[in-house]
Amino acid sequence: MRLRRTDPHTLAGAYALDALGAADRENFERHLLGCEACRAEAAGLRDAAGWLAEPAAAVPPARLRAQVLAEAARARQQPPPVRGTARVRRSWHGIGWRAPRLAVAMAGAGMLVALALGTLLLSTQHQLRVQEAHSSQIAAIMNAPDADIMTVQARTHGSATVVMSHAAHALVLTTARLPALPSTECYQVWLMGTHRTRSAGRLPPPKQGMTPPMIVAGLAAGDQMGVTVEPTGGASSPSAPPVLMLALPAG
Amino acid sequence: MTAELPGERPRAASGGELAGLLAKVARGDEAAFAGVYDHFATVVYGVVRRVVRDPAQSEEVTQEVLLDVWRTASRFDPSEGSARSWLMTLAHRRAVDRVRSAQASAEREIRASRAATDYDVVVEEVETRLDAQRVRRCLDSLTELQRESVTLAYYGGYTYREVAALLGVAVGTVKTRMRDGLIRLRDCLGTDS
Repeated sequence: MRLRRTDPHTLAGAYALDALGAADRENFERHLLGCEACRAEAAGLRDAAGWLAEPAAAVPPARLRAQVLAEAARARQQPPPVRGTARVRRSWHGIGWRAPRLAVAMAGAGMLVALALGTLLLSTQHQLRVQEAHSSQIAAIMNAPDADIMTVQARTHGSATVVMSHAAHALVLTTARLPALPSTECYQVWLMGTHRTRSAGRLPPPKQGMTPPMIVAGLAAGDQMGVTVEPTGGASSPSAPPVLMLALPAG
Repeated sequence: MTAELPGERPRAASGGELAGLLAKVARGDEAAFAGVYDHFATVVYGVVRRVVRDPAQSEEVTQEVLLDVWRTASRFDPSEGSARSWLMTLAHRRAVDRVRSAQASAEREIRASRAATDYDVVVEEVETRLDAQRVRRCLDSLTELQRESVTLAYYGGYTYREVAALLGVAVGTVKTRMRDGLIRLRDCLGTDS
């Protein structure tokens, strides 16, 4: 809990030394996904840490070589990662964020978790059917051949991950670790076009820090997606600067 | 030549060489895998042994690490860091995970008394290599608190919170010293080659 209020950048050294406990490590790796500079720093520090092994070098028992080579000859190798159906862009210009390959895997996993949570929390059959329809829409967007995945840091804290299909004019939005709001306020999602701004609805309440996937449909060329803090009932137009903003790439 | 003398490495294979070997390993090339073993088994076993201490367990973990290399070589991505760094991360993480999951607290306390200071004492002395000398020299350029924080974490397998407790300093201080120490180490290794 304390970590969440700590500046995660300072953990780069401890991370590179494998000196984070499991929970701290997981939090930091999530932070890395949205912070390219941090990934670069962590890689550099990890490389330096790796050299610390040199003075420790010691000759292993001679039998180990034959054992390891024999084991390897019997062990199946993992296939290389293959790009899935989601098309991944390595970078976009003009907004200063990237969609690293790692993020795809992590965001995908995150969404599955969110989906699972969402599904578990539903009890009645009716709700389940609604949820199934919702899930299949989500799956359709996430598996669209032209799906793009993007992660953007919020100005405050936390991040949003978006999977967008141009062909479907829709995106799936999840967020992680946005600051909790008092009951009098909510997060509202907007599509901000060149001519007008439309509300895309309120973010669902977070479960364990993550909001379940939300579908935002009716995207138009040139739209940006923004999230603002509004009174609980929602607002008809954004009343405050967005806490996060994402220019949606043109198809 | 290395094939006949598995315990000696001519020098650490350069990053490019290892990356080339890994690409072959990913395609199932057993000779390339033997090459990885010959170049890196001493350094992998050395660091594992330093963290884990127990020789039998160290051997086990070393074997797991090298088999990880065989199995997951196709996952190595040069855009995320050097091949050497990838391999050392596998080794160190495995070693640390082993001690964290299994180590009784009494044993950890014993290790604490030794880990910080003996980074230059090896179990079975490998012929002195340039890389090891370079790293020692760079470690010596760190402040005492930086060096203690870095070496307790790396060789002792402690978390930064544990390191803070062992050194009797604030957690925030240790985090900063670890980062500053590694930055200094990185710069020293980078400029000193």
